Amino acid sequence: MNTSRPAPELRERVLAAVRREPVATGREGARGRAAVVLRGFGVAAAIAIAAGIHGSEAKTPRPPGCILSLELLWLSLAVAATWAGVDRGRSMLGRRKAWRVAVATLTPAAMLAAWLPVALAWPETLTIASGLRAHLVCTAMTMALAAGPLIAFAWLRRASDPVSPRLTGAALGATAGAWGDVAHVPICGYTEPAHIVVGHILPVVLLALVGVIIGDRVVALRAEAPGR
Amino acid sequence: MGLQEVAAVWAEGRASGPAPRADAVDVAMQRYAEGDEAAFAVVYDALAPRLYGYLLRQTRDSGHAEDLVQQTMLHIHRARARFIPGAKVMPWAFAIARRLFVDGLRRERREVPVAEGGDPDGGPALGASADALVQARECAARIERVLAGLPASQRAAFELVKYEGLSIADAAVVLGTTVAAVKLRAHRAYEALRSALGDVADDLGGAAR
Repeated sequence: MNTSRPAPELRERVLAAVRREPVATGREGARGRAAVVLRGFGVAAAIAIAAGIHGSEAKTPRPPGCILSLELLWLSLAVAATWAGVDRGRSMLGRRKAWRVAVATLTPAAMLAAWLPVALAWPETLTIASGLRAHLVCTAMTMALAAGPLIAFAWLRRASDPVSPRLTGAALGATAGAWGDVAHVPICGYTEPAHIVVGHILPVVLLALVGVIIGDRVVALRAEAPGR
Repeated sequence: MGLQEVAAVWAEGRASGPAPRADAVDVAMQRYAEGDEAAFAVVYDALAPRLYGYLLRQTRDSGHAEDLVQQTMLHIHRARARFIPGAKVMPWAFAIARRLFVDGLRRERREVPVAEGGDPDGGPALGASADALVQARECAARIERVLAGLPASQRAAFELVKYEGLSIADAAVVLGTTVAAVKLRAHRAYEALRSALGDVADDLGGAAR
């Protein structure tokens, strides 16, 4: 007897378990995913609108061209990070590790690099004084704006990564941080170097680190505890 | 007969028939994701024997292997709504199975006993002479011992590529590493086997001639 095949009863057991636990089809799942993403980004938009009504503490407004340029550059980076770090491409296991490493580590660096030409084009914005309080307010605000997208991304990828969930989580965190900054640029009044680093780039790094924990707790595919 | 063939003889004794065409499994899973309930049975039939063979080699316990196959299939079922059309199912399934095995191992913090006899399945079911069968069993036991002594990463790469028939690229996906790393690990495992089993391979080679 060739016992290297599973017992025939296993087939019946698995198929019965599948019948007992109906799940959504791909089309139904796509609608659910779209709703979750909309909610996540909706929360970020609501926070941004509320903060925008409150207004910036900056005494000198930044030129609209400066705001628009930085917004477009960071928006491009956020879209690219979403494509590389959140979307799984053609594999159920997600894109290659190298892509996720790149998203987690290069997103903050690329955002800083994208700010440089904007700063050089509008050098007067470099001298709009902010201060530590403004830096920390923006750090918290960027993280708050990123929370909705991060929760949405984590929900999309929950219990899905059996190989490198922490890395996936880090990529999700950095991507959410980029979106937080995209929502934040129009309402933040400062573009000076220290403020950009502490108020806008540091949160992306912190969110990548938070993403590692989320990856481990949420994104990781785990065996069920015995007895479940 | 080279060592690869020796290993293949051993593997053949455990394999559960010809490997299904990967794209047939992919198509069945896609049909399932699109709403064809009956397609899951096709997915099961294509995956379960291979997963079971792989997990049996890891656990040395048919009951445990079956539990893990069941969990793996249920994870695949639960991912129905998230299935990406055109995605490859086989490496995904092996990655899930491997994760569930490793998690269980960590949870239980137990050593996996290495069967001294080497073959929990009763040996290869070959239509061969008694001498060849005995030799194949001895070879299988030695392969088992050598593999058990290898670093886990080398063993895993070797098993996925040589026994499970995954491509180097798919094995890299399952193990979460690069193609170059899998090639290197599988090659080192192969070299370790060759140096440990060279005499057996020569004997079998002589017998074959």
